[in-house]
Amino acid sequence: MNPNGSTAEDRTGEIELERVVKAFGEVTAVDDVSFTIRGGEFFSLLGPSGCGKTTTLRLIAGFEEPTSGRILLQGGDVTRVPPGKRNVNMVFQAYALFPHMTVAENIGFGPKIHKLGKAEVAERTFDILRVVQLEGMEDRRPGQLSGGQQQRVALARALVNHPAALLLDEPLGALDLKLRKEMQLELKALQARTGTTFVYVTQLATPKELYQRPATAFVAGFIGVSNLITLRADRREDGLVVMDLGEGERILAPDPGTGGDVSITVRPEWIKLASGEVGPRASHVSGTIADVVYLGSLTQLLIDLRTGERLSVHRLNDEISAEEPRPGDRIVLHWAAEHSYVIGSGVAPAGPQEKVETT
Amino acid sequence: MAAVEATVGPARPRRGSRGGAFAILFAPVSLLIVLFLVPMLLMVQVSTLVDPFDPSSGSTLQHFANVLTDPLNRKIAVTTFLIASTAMVLMLAVAIPLASFMVFRAGKWELPLLLALVVADELNPIVRIWAWRMILGRQGIVNWFLQTTRITDAPVEWLIFTPFAVIVVLSAGYLTYTTIPIYAAMKAINPALFEASVDLGAGWWIRTRKILIPLAAPGIFVAMILVYVPMLTDFVSPDLVAGTGSTMLGQRVTQLILEGADWGNGSALTFVLLVATVLLSLLAFRLARLNRIQT
Repeated sequence: MNPNGSTAEDRTGEIELERVVKAFGEVTAVDDVSFTIRGGEFFSLLGPSGCGKTTTLRLIAGFEEPTSGRILLQGGDVTRVPPGKRNVNMVFQAYALFPHMTVAENIGFGPKIHKLGKAEVAERTFDILRVVQLEGMEDRRPGQLSGGQQQRVALARALVNHPAALLLDEPLGALDLKLRKEMQLELKALQARTGTTFVYVTQLATPKELYQRPATAFVAGFIGVSNLITLRADRREDGLVVMDLGEGERILAPDPGTGGDVSITVRPEWIKLASGEVGPRASHVSGTIADVVYLGSLTQLLIDLRTGERLSVHRLNDEISAEEPRPGDRIVLHWAAEHSYVIGSGVAPAGPQEKVETT
Repeated sequence: MAAVEATVGPARPRRGSRGGAFAILFAPVSLLIVLFLVPMLLMVQVSTLVDPFDPSSGSTLQHFANVLTDPLNRKIAVTTFLIASTAMVLMLAVAIPLASFMVFRAGKWELPLLLALVVADELNPIVRIWAWRMILGRQGIVNWFLQTTRITDAPVEWLIFTPFAVIVVLSAGYLTYTTIPIYAAMKAINPALFEASVDLGAGWWIRTRKILIPLAAPGIFVAMILVYVPMLTDFVSPDLVAGTGSTMLGQRVTQLILEGADWGNGSALTFVLLVATVLLSLLAFRLARLNRIQT
């Protein structure tokens, strides 16, 4: 998991926030945040705009000074160290490339300031251009590059300084969806190749892990349709929490071992429309179709359960089905126990700042 | 023209839009021709006639020969060039930091400052220059201050009716025209560029030299053209505060035409000035390498 193989002594690329508060006048943008990012980690800060994630990043970069709390970089206190003197570099939201300089001049800007010799600057520039696959582009100006290429220049301009950590502020926000997906993969690959800690602020990308296993109801709701169900713990057996609904119907989930009722989420694509026998380790519940929404490759069914909750179910349109479901129809649903993902007891209250680790 | 239309969109009928553009441009273009081009052509014609008031007198380049060989003109040209250049440097030294302050630091004071600059320029130049005589004169404010604080015992004589006075008055007079184009150019700079350079370790000097000045260069260039040309031909400021040793080319033209009624030589000198300023502009353009800047 950790390319640097860091131990307790090796704190290369480690970032630590200790009870950091940042207030702008009356508004508290970052409220008592503490977390540790291990060296070589790909660390995402995800949340809606205005939730303080960019401020958090700017605090790490040194563009903002915390109202209280400490920021440690590789074990050393950098709370009052100016941005240029911290061993971190930032990739800005709209890249902020220098429009009057060539790609090579943009990349060489940092190394030249740090008084590296001409040969070394040229060598580092050449190396990093190869890493971001922009060989042959060194004499172009940012205005002559595509969005994706500009993005890569911005990455190269930061990485050429060999920072302990790279801070990325919505780096994919300006790209279209297709390119964004490609660049996301590229970023991951780049991070794996360089072993640099990446701190990634976004409200757009949804890492797979996060989508499948959200930590709180807030995250689940934020990243998309989430099918939240409150599970009354009627029985606990075989490592499962079971809610009995009568007539053999039940909803079950893996027992988190916390006791009491639990909140679960089920992705719409994992819920099957039942026909025939349902296994013992599966949820099994009937409901009424409230609405049918045709979405092209799939159809979304909104189903009112007898528990009062409404579920969204995705049904692929590649099957040949004799009868099309219609609003008002009674329907039986089932899904495997492991697809009931427990997100806490009750509806968990969630802060705006969510820590997501995808390494 | 065609390229502009193409970007506007193919849906719009071509003929109609061209007719519309012509209608819109008709008034300003005809004004320009009547008020600017015609007098200029007249001036060129007058400067090449043997008798400036008789178009049938035949053409000659004698006036140009007179103007270019007159040693007094050469001396005045050198003085003018030195005074205008010094004033230009002085104004840039004030305007660049001022514009940068207004754009990136002033916050809510940005607009009041801009307004103050414009108002300062709206003042009647005669009133403004007389104010400078009150400030720099033998019994002026500066001398009063220097003597009251006992920095000097006698009035400082070189404050007025010297090249120094002309430089101060010109700089103050054209500061608005220097600052506003630079302000506009800086307004277009993405402030994140400075953060990016700070992030990469740049201090104040590198930020100014590598980011601010190159990106404000188009504005600086426009300011120089806008201000240098009228300074070369200005005669009001030097008339009121210059001494005998600091006569400028603008004064020389008025002397020739208004006092000597010498329209031939006066027009020739004006034309030479015009050509010189165009050449200077082109030179500045090359030096600033503006053709390289594309944002």
